[in-house]
Amino acid sequence: VIAETAPKRSSRVLVIDDEDQIRRALKSVLQARHYEVDLAETAEEGLELTATRVPDIIVLDLTLPGMSGLEACRRLREWYHGPILILSVRSGDDDKIAALDLGADDYLTKPFSSGELLARVRALLRRTQGADTSVNEMDAGDLHIDFAKRAVRLQGEPVHLTRIEFDILALLARNAGRVVTSRMLIDTVWGPEYEGETQTLRVHISNLRRKIEAPGDVSRYVLTEPGVGFRFAGPNEL
Amino acid sequence: MAMEARAGAPWRGYALAFLTVAAVSAVLLPFRALLAPNTVMLLYVPVIIAVASLAGVRASATAAVLAFLTLDFLFVPPYYRLTVASVAEWLGLLVFLIVALVSGQQAARLRARETAAVRRQGELELLNRLAFRIASEKSASAVAQFLVSQVVEVLDGVRAVLYAGRLGEGPECLAQAGLERPSGHEAEFVSWVLATGKAVGMPGVHGVPYDQRIVSVGAEGAVTGAVADAAYLPLQTSTGIEGVLVAELAPGVALTGDDARVLSAVANLAAASLERQRLEGEAAHVVALREADGLKTTLVRSVSHELKTPLAAATARVTGLVDEGGSCSAERVHDELMAVAEDLSRLDDSIGALLDLSRLESDTWQPRMEMEDIRDLLGTVRSKVTAGRRDRLMFVLPENLPEVEVDHAQLTRAISNLVENALAYTPPDTTVTIGAERAGANVRIWVQDQGAGVPDSEKAYVFEKFYRGSNSTSVPSGTGLGLAIAREIVRTHAGTLTVEDAVPNGARFVMTLPAATPEAE
Repeated sequence: VIAETAPKRSSRVLVIDDEDQIRRALKSVLQARHYEVDLAETAEEGLELTATRVPDIIVLDLTLPGMSGLEACRRLREWYHGPILILSVRSGDDDKIAALDLGADDYLTKPFSSGELLARVRALLRRTQGADTSVNEMDAGDLHIDFAKRAVRLQGEPVHLTRIEFDILALLARNAGRVVTSRMLIDTVWGPEYEGETQTLRVHISNLRRKIEAPGDVSRYVLTEPGVGFRFAGPNEL
Repeated sequence: MAMEARAGAPWRGYALAFLTVAAVSAVLLPFRALLAPNTVMLLYVPVIIAVASLAGVRASATAAVLAFLTLDFLFVPPYYRLTVASVAEWLGLLVFLIVALVSGQQAARLRARETAAVRRQGELELLNRLAFRIASEKSASAVAQFLVSQVVEVLDGVRAVLYAGRLGEGPECLAQAGLERPSGHEAEFVSWVLATGKAVGMPGVHGVPYDQRIVSVGAEGAVTGAVADAAYLPLQTSTGIEGVLVAELAPGVALTGDDARVLSAVANLAAASLERQRLEGEAAHVVALREADGLKTTLVRSVSHELKTPLAAATARVTGLVDEGGSCSAERVHDELMAVAEDLSRLDDSIGALLDLSRLESDTWQPRMEMEDIRDLLGTVRSKVTAGRRDRLMFVLPENLPEVEVDHAQLTRAISNLVENALAYTPPDTTVTIGAERAGANVRIWVQDQGAGVPDSEKAYVFEKFYRGSNSTSVPSGTGLGLAIAREIVRTHAGTLTVEDAVPNGARFVMTLPAATPEAE
């Protein structure tokens, strides 16, 4: 399972983490998969390396000495457009959400296995290489989504969704396997000026679930990421 | 219960004697011509006996002398003079005086005895009440409150307070009854009594240096020359002083010897009660400490076993590879490293589980409660099961399941642990069924397998840390903490987690949680 094909052009990964052991472990794991790896110990060093080495993806630890990972994320997002993968500890929910809202693309909770890390890195690279956004239709389990026609079928039967429900589903499905924060959903569906509460969002999600999940079954497509947001089940979760 | 000696000052007795004699004389005077002096004498005797009963022996003697003089002055000729005509009349008057004095004394004595008997009985009843309450009441504050309220009632006092305190500890007010106004020097008196073990303001109690309500203590005591406006009794037991009982009477009213006796008895009971409570508390603490110590020893042994085993295995493999030098094949190196990775992953799981468990047990991992849909919770549980084993899961869910108010991450963790446990300890070709249903005001979420089940003798232990059932023949793959964590999580959600036998075979773990939405009509 762990064996995989190396990327055609070796991608460049920047790891920003103050813990020497983590840096060394990530370096050997990533290099073994033929990634080029740069290491930074502080946020300042990381920003500098981002400018000089132009990584394809950044792995950023949130708990850094000096400039925080959150601040680094904010500054990176001003000009860096590649994916950012956040590393956080379990208790750091608020920072994690803040980082995702600031534009980080995904997060991993420490401790994590190298398999998890590689899967996230691969998924993020594939996405920014433009594969997912060009997709006009997708199948997930019994669900078929046509983004262009804004149509959804469950086991071949058309499902009628409201505009808001479809917008939510589309955003989640285009990011299948990745967490989407409540803030991101609200911004996308209602616009950033909307001051609505996450409670409203939960009601829409609940209605959406009722329409696309089979009665008498558990939720398969739309999963809750407690305290963070929601996630459309990835291919290996269905 | 009225305290006889406090019922009236002495002048009231004399006034009563004077008034009754005067009243009887006034009534009889108009009939003086019809009444022989001897008849008048006979009519005075019951009056004197009545005075004796009401006001005691001194008042009755006064009445007797007054009656004697009045008789002589008003009823024995020559009238309005203390001289007497005949010796016979003198004798008659003398006999009257003696009879009046003796019968008055007898009556007063009987009366005093009766009063004392009534009072003793009252005291006995009081002490019985207190002793019964102390023996039957579990709550220390309720006992203390009862004691002080009884003291106020029985002594007609204005205030009673019970302080607990050992030497070297500050006194703590356990209960008070009556007025809430503490006297100016109460704290100092209480401290002094605690320090010296001597009573203040208590007449006739052994070892008490004060029968005046004045304290003047030297350097050892904090109170110098202050007036004690209440009685302060040390609560003395064989092992020391347990506290102080304070009783305050109305201003200007002194404690009698009877009051002191009652107070001392109450103080003894209070002392015994406080001592018992203190010893019980200490005993419970010792038992708890001993149990915690035993648990800790078991736990440390299990923890070190759980942590050291994978570490030892990994170390053995790695040092083996190092010892072989470059001679082993790449395939063998890969296999060994894969095994090491598994060991390390198990070690990581164990450490994570232990940390979570200690956070849960110490309540530092507070649940973040939100309204959750059970289907969504179970969906998350399902998505966490690795793809190869997901086909073994079956869900049984009625429509209209109520919502639950839970911490999503914690509760799905608990259910996942039950599911992983079922998957790990049952044959790979069997099904694990997960269901939920409403049960009155609760929701039951259950996980049922088709394995060998849990024997009755082990049902109580499966939730213990590191417990491995006798039926778990396979090599343990988990941390041995999954069920313990699940139960702790359910506990922080005010629910219960139990295991029962499934039909026809297997184990059924049942989680019961309060439903957040009311039952539909």
